Amino acid sequence: MSADVIMVIVVATALAFDFTNGFHDTANVVATSISTGAARPQVAIAFASLLNFVGAFISISVAATVANDVVNSEVITPTVVFAGLIGAISWNLITWSFGLPSSSSHALIGGVVGSAVAAAGFDAVLADGLVGKVLIPAVIAPLLAFLVAGIAIALVYRVVGKQRPGTVTRGFRYGQIVSGGLLALAHGTNDAQKTMGVITLALVANGSLAANADPPVWVIASAATAIALGTYSGGWRIIRTTGTRIIKMDAAQGFSAQGAGAAVILASTHFGFPLSTTHVINGGVMGAGAAKRVSAVRWGVAGNIAMAWLLTLPAAAAIGAAAYGLTAIFGNGALGPVLVTLMGVSLIVAVFSRRSQRGSPVPAS
Amino acid sequence: MMAVVVETKELLETVAASLVAGVGMTFVFSIAIWGVARFAELSRNDRPVAASASAAVAILALLGTLSGVAFGIVVMTNK
Repeated sequence: MSADVIMVIVVATALAFDFTNGFHDTANVVATSISTGAARPQVAIAFASLLNFVGAFISISVAATVANDVVNSEVITPTVVFAGLIGAISWNLITWSFGLPSSSSHALIGGVVGSAVAAAGFDAVLADGLVGKVLIPAVIAPLLAFLVAGIAIALVYRVVGKQRPGTVTRGFRYGQIVSGGLLALAHGTNDAQKTMGVITLALVANGSLAANADPPVWVIASAATAIALGTYSGGWRIIRTTGTRIIKMDAAQGFSAQGAGAAVILASTHFGFPLSTTHVINGGVMGAGAAKRVSAVRWGVAGNIAMAWLLTLPAAAAIGAAAYGLTAIFGNGALGPVLVTLMGVSLIVAVFSRRSQRGSPVPAS
Repeated sequence: MMAVVVETKELLETVAASLVAGVGMTFVFSIAIWGVARFAELSRNDRPVAASASAAVAILALLGTLSGVAFGIVVMTNK
């Protein structure tokens, strides 16, 4: 009975995380299309939401990586997964509160690693998987998106530079419907799978699934629904502020940035690398901006993103470990997760109340 | 040693696929737009043969772009 209660809490917390992931990342996916005038906000957000949902069903490679290659599933319990999710959600909330862009993906992996270490020591961490499938791709992917977008936009300007701007702009705006859709698809494919992976990890730990099993259909469907709903509901609030933080781009730059982001995320997803889609998309936007004029990029924002990148994994790991320690005080039953959940919900309500009173900008994560 | 830990082959394939797909698709689509722009300009200048050739380039490049997108999605779904 107690194990079932913990599992329900874990699944609910994971889906809540997935919802906030979509909620935070909406602006990343659609802001480029909106800022270049390629799509109206309502249409772009609805389109992105739908394609996020579809994208979640495309592949399970990333889910398999999160479930099998980062932590040793034999020493993981549902409580460990729960504490990891608390670490991820808490870090997201802290960075969101301070206006610091951060990666939900790295927070999730950091939180789970931290709670696993607190529960079973460093043997719980699969160092090869963590380094080879998470840390190295995390460094390479944004740089790759920067490079791809930069080369692409340089070629575009050579090809269409002497043509009438009106025709070129209209053409790339139409193109952005496809590239923006592909980016939303890629986002759903990579990000929804992280939640699938974590729920699968908890189900294996609970004995509900065999080790190395693929995520069940209900897990895939619920994760897809959560990220799609988050994307749809998040956009209305976030897009107004995030749109002003994006570099003012022309339609060709927007197309190049979205194309680069989609290409990097889809290629990485194919090989099972759980990326920060935020960093990839930002890398593409900066590459498209820098290729035209280096000073067009807000390098201060880039510095903040780099700082958040460095802090996210260890900080989320520390909070995940602390959450596990707090939960463990109340024993192995459901009392610990229930109390920590109540504390977490109270914290979220407090932060949202503070934010809504201030009316401050909401950064993307 | 590090090469064992890092999945070098997969990473290199990711880099190559991203470069080919991201740069290639954008380049091919820009050719389509160039074709459309040239078609409009040549039509205005009453040069129908050259305009038709530009339109053909635009259509081929557009088909190439859409095929690339479809191929990418198919590769993803077959994983």
